[in-house]
Amino acid sequence: MAIISIKDLTKTFGNTAAVNHLNLSIEEGEIFGLLGPNGAGKTTAILMLATVIRPTEGTATVGEYDIRKNPDKVRALLGIAFQEPKMLWVSTPWDIVNFHAKVCGLSTQDRKRKVKEILDALEMWEFRHRTVHALSGGMRKRVEIAKILIQRPKIAIVDEPTAQIDVVGKHKIWKMLCELRDQGSTIILATNELYEADVLSDRVGILHRGQLIVCDTPKKLKDSIPGGDIIDIKLEKEVTAKDIEALKDFEEVVDIHQPKPDNLRLHLNKVEEVVPRIMNLLMKKNMPVSSIRMSEPSLDDVFSHFTGLTIEEAQKGGA
Amino acid sequence: MTALTNKLFLVVERDIRLFFQYKFLIIMRGIWFVSQIVLFGLIASRMVSVTDYFQYYVAGLSVMMLYSTALFIGFDIYEEAEHGVFEYLLSLPVSRRQLVLGRSIGGGLRAFIYVGPLIGVALYVIGAVNPLNFLIAFFTLFLFAFGVSGMSITIAVIIKSSDRFDILMGVLDALIVRLSTAMYPLAIVQQANPFYGGLTQLNPVSFASDLFRWGTGLEAIISLNNPLAPLLGIVAFFSFFTFVGIIIYDKRIEGGGWQ
Repeated sequence: MAIISIKDLTKTFGNTAAVNHLNLSIEEGEIFGLLGPNGAGKTTAILMLATVIRPTEGTATVGEYDIRKNPDKVRALLGIAFQEPKMLWVSTPWDIVNFHAKVCGLSTQDRKRKVKEILDALEMWEFRHRTVHALSGGMRKRVEIAKILIQRPKIAIVDEPTAQIDVVGKHKIWKMLCELRDQGSTIILATNELYEADVLSDRVGILHRGQLIVCDTPKKLKDSIPGGDIIDIKLEKEVTAKDIEALKDFEEVVDIHQPKPDNLRLHLNKVEEVVPRIMNLLMKKNMPVSSIRMSEPSLDDVFSHFTGLTIEEAQKGGA
Repeated sequence: MTALTNKLFLVVERDIRLFFQYKFLIIMRGIWFVSQIVLFGLIASRMVSVTDYFQYYVAGLSVMMLYSTALFIGFDIYEEAEHGVFEYLLSLPVSRRQLVLGRSIGGGLRAFIYVGPLIGVALYVIGAVNPLNFLIAFFTLFLFAFGVSGMSITIAVIIKSSDRFDILMGVLDALIVRLSTAMYPLAIVQQANPFYGGLTQLNPVSFASDLFRWGTGLEAIISLNNPLAPLLGIVAFFSFFTFVGIIIYDKRIEGGGWQ
């Protein structure tokens, strides 16, 4: 069931459309990855959903409420962790998380326990009375994430949640976001880290120049790239042209290269289904395999396939 | 407490807490206040022929302090816009009206809490208190602080540049405080220039200063026969800037004018 339905949502700044007729449904209980380079329109779309800025055109329904007609009710369902931590330099992690918990309606007893629990889990308890001025970028980001974790909103929006955070911290936050989802929250994950989106998202939507290019599960998106899966096979014998022709008979095989006489590189679709059949064929032809290496396409490849640009190129100016 | 008032209270509480986190500023303002009394007030009162000028000045200084402290909320709005905190506040499960009203009340209340002990110092220096009059005067100072806070919010959301806000506040401070009875009696202003006298009579800082002096028993100096006129002036000032401030702030927020 869709918990968010976005219809023709548009935001223009002057002559520039930051978000251009966005149509999208987000299912209850999923982690939805909103992917795109900087400037693609992710943050603007999020701010409109959170009723922080008004759309120029179109609207969205969050829960059962229209963002234009019932912004107060929409905000009661949402929690947002911003891309850039939003905090004054004189504030401390304790002040920030404690205030957020209060506004979100946690009782005094619950609040004190949970603030400690969450700051502890994010390794920020020790620094709870330091002013933001004295915190590193990664620490500020953790405090920003702590707001969502303490609020446990029905719909959590996290914008670049692990930017500036070290690898160990990243995994910890990913785990916490998955737990949040498992406890019933729907999560919108806006990110330009394609690996992060791949690991966490149940479904992914790619935004480019304010428009939704494609939206599906990461697996289906990867499978949609013709010949996106690659396998490198090393054989104990030289491969003949006849063997290559036999391999081309598989409809999943898109292309075959032979870098060395006993090496093959196959570009194919649905690697999991076709590899056992290829192995059987090679066994039948008495061609023992000495090694095999598989690689499937990443969301980077998906992004490049649909936009014609790498994410780095899009980031530099293509967005 | 209903959820509605609870959220309003939280916004007010946040602004009060935030203000008291600026410890350096608070200490410096306190030192400034005391120095104005023990240095400028004491010395200047010897040069001035007005009876009890020292007490007169200390009462006016309290109102000036309240005025400048209540203005800080406008600076906070810029600070928040700069750090993106405004977006955060707008994303909270708090209605726009609660947010705007809460900020206006918070800005006034924190000024009052901060200046309260300093007013206590002023009362000690003045030495005379008529309890009933003082309660009325105290209440009007309360409204005055909210009015100034509303005025600061209104100007802050109309003027998008913090530099311009800073300059305008400096000019306003010079005009509003100097064309008031905070530092000199109305009769002397009128003698200097009748036009100045006319403006001074309509100035909310004059209303607040006169009422405070009336409340503390210094009315002999100001010849305040009818405290109702400045009282109504303060109520009008408070109502205008609190409600106009709320409407403009609300419109700016909804229209994205803060961006």
